[in-house]
Amino acid sequence: MNARPTDVVAFLVRQHAEIRDLFAEVEASEGSAREEAFHRLVHLLAVHETAEEEIVHPYVRRVVDGGDAIVDDRLREENEAKQLLSDLDEMGPHHPDFLKHLEVLRKDVLMHARAEERYEFIHLTREGDPARLAKMTAAVEAAEKMAPTRPHPGVESATKNVLVGAPMAIMDRARDLIRKVMGEDK
Amino acid sequence: MTFNPLRERGIPLDDQLRTWRELAVMPIDPDESDPYTRCRIITMNGLETEAIFFSHNMARHCPDVEMKQQLARVRYIESQQQKAVNWLLPGLASVLETTIAYEQVAVDLTSWVARMEPDPYLRQAYEFGVLEDFDHLYRYANLYEMIEHRRAEKIVDGLTEVMPGRPTYLQHRHPVDNVRQNYDRTVASPISKLHALTIMSTEQQTMNFYMNVGPLYMEPIARQLYQEIGMIEEEHVTHYESLVDPGETWWEMLLNHEYNECYLYHSFMETESDPRIKAIWELHLNMELEHLGLAAEAFKRFDGRDPEQVLAPELPVPVTFEPNKAYLRELLATQIDYTTIGTGYVQEAHERFEAMQRAVLDDEKPASEVVIAENAMKSGHEYRLETEGPHPVQSLRTNRPT
Ligand SMILES: [Fe+2]
Ligand SMILES: [Fe+2]
Ligand SMILES: [Fe+2]
Ligand SMILES: [Fe+2]
Ligand SMILES: [Fe+2]
Ligand SMILES: [Fe+2]
Repeated sequence: MNARPTDVVAFLVRQHAEIRDLFAEVEASEGSAREEAFHRLVHLLAVHETAEEEIVHPYVRRVVDGGDAIVDDRLREENEAKQLLSDLDEMGPHHPDFLKHLEVLRKDVLMHARAEERYEFIHLTREGDPARLAKMTAAVEAAEKMAPTRPHPGVESATKNVLVGAPMAIMDRARDLIRKVMGEDK
Repeated sequence: MTFNPLRERGIPLDDQLRTWRELAVMPIDPDESDPYTRCRIITMNGLETEAIFFSHNMARHCPDVEMKQQLARVRYIESQQQKAVNWLLPGLASVLETTIAYEQVAVDLTSWVARMEPDPYLRQAYEFGVLEDFDHLYRYANLYEMIEHRRAEKIVDGLTEVMPGRPTYLQHRHPVDNVRQNYDRTVASPISKLHALTIMSTEQQTMNFYMNVGPLYMEPIARQLYQEIGMIEEEHVTHYESLVDPGETWWEMLLNHEYNECYLYHSFMETESDPRIKAIWELHLNMELEHLGLAAEAFKRFDGRDPEQVLAPELPVPVTFEPNKAYLRELLATQIDYTTIGTGYVQEAHERFEAMQRAVLDDEKPASEVVIAENAMKSGHEYRLETEGPHPVQSLRTNRPT
């Protein structure tokens, strides 16, 4: 019911807020509700980080003075988080250590998101070209709306069946989609 | 169990010094800690900040070098305490989240103080003020949804309702009408003095906070809202500080300050839900007992009086953070249209009030109104958290179909 922000920074900040709330939801729920919330978290995190890597970080490298160093820091954080996310997804919400690992991921992601807002996005707002930022929004939005991945036919083992796509698979699809949307002025 | 801080021994001053390692406290988790733990941290930061500035002011009026040296020694410790306390706030939280927590403190701390205050004139001052900070909470919560796209219930956790109080634009009063009548130090009960000092200190810290973080925002609406509410917080400092009897000597004021720090640390030690934080309150209480002992010695020496004459014989019931929803709804229903005139209160707008309103508002909507309209436009609704039913004041209900 939120009106869609048109600026890519506002859009990404809104996703940060949603991700943060989703962590709380996963933690507070149980059984199939937790599974379902966790899948939404995996999906949103995967498309969010992919969009940043495909669109935002390269642009910051190009236009911001010192952008390379800023983006290197962010990528380091992102790679760490991606690894944790993969492990957690592998583990699944029924694993006895799930909550412990979720907590580590939550703190990592929260810190990474704040670092983006404070040290990276602020340059986009200051130095980015408004038309370009608006166009980026379209791509990020398209990625967010991307339908959940369906399990491959034939590999529907009982436990994996509920998993609607491992993080890496979602990222691959999001990347293709974003490239298509951004394609014409690449 | 009675606790008379004058009779307790604290940690010797020389043993109170902390290393940098000891000051590197681990912050609380912004999403998983008790919101009232955060409120206690913000409150104690207000008291420690007041302790530091009060001591500086006193030193500027103190002709005795030896006493100035003692003030400096204690002040260094107060300053370390302030660091240890305020650095419990997490860098992961945004400034606006901390702001919302500041207003939650103002709402639930002032409500508690008002409920416990024995003097009717002083109680009225707290009841009047609390409806204004209650409104600030609502304005900032809308700003939060608008620029951070997150709902304030994640911060206040349903303990405090979020809805209009006395509308912020109606809080711009003529400065003359912000000055209250002071209590009489010879007859006021000790708890009244502690209350006034506590609320004065926290409101002052709120004023400091807004005046410094406001300009760090990029969004014009955020910059303007911090300016507008920052001006009200200055009115609140005027309002509450004028309750204190100016006839207290410097030594008596120092004594009250140290006693109040003991009182608050003791209160929070008794009521803290987080054991790690509770240990900090306990440590600081043991430091304050020594500060109090030193202040009591100086009071005897320079004022020639016995501290027991001016202080309570034992600590009053612990200051407690707890929901005040029914109490606030009652105040909203009965006092929302109050304003001040001279040192009293009236229910209708008077000439000086209206002249001030015209002078600062100039018939334009201020940021506190714009933020609601803009958020309603962007988010599809204005933000409220009404857990106990519709707003008690008919005209402040939302009539939007859901
Ligand atoms: Fe990222
Ligand atoms: Fe991000
Ligand atoms: Fe202190
Ligand atoms: Fe306030
Ligand atoms: Fe206030
Ligand atoms: Fe002290």
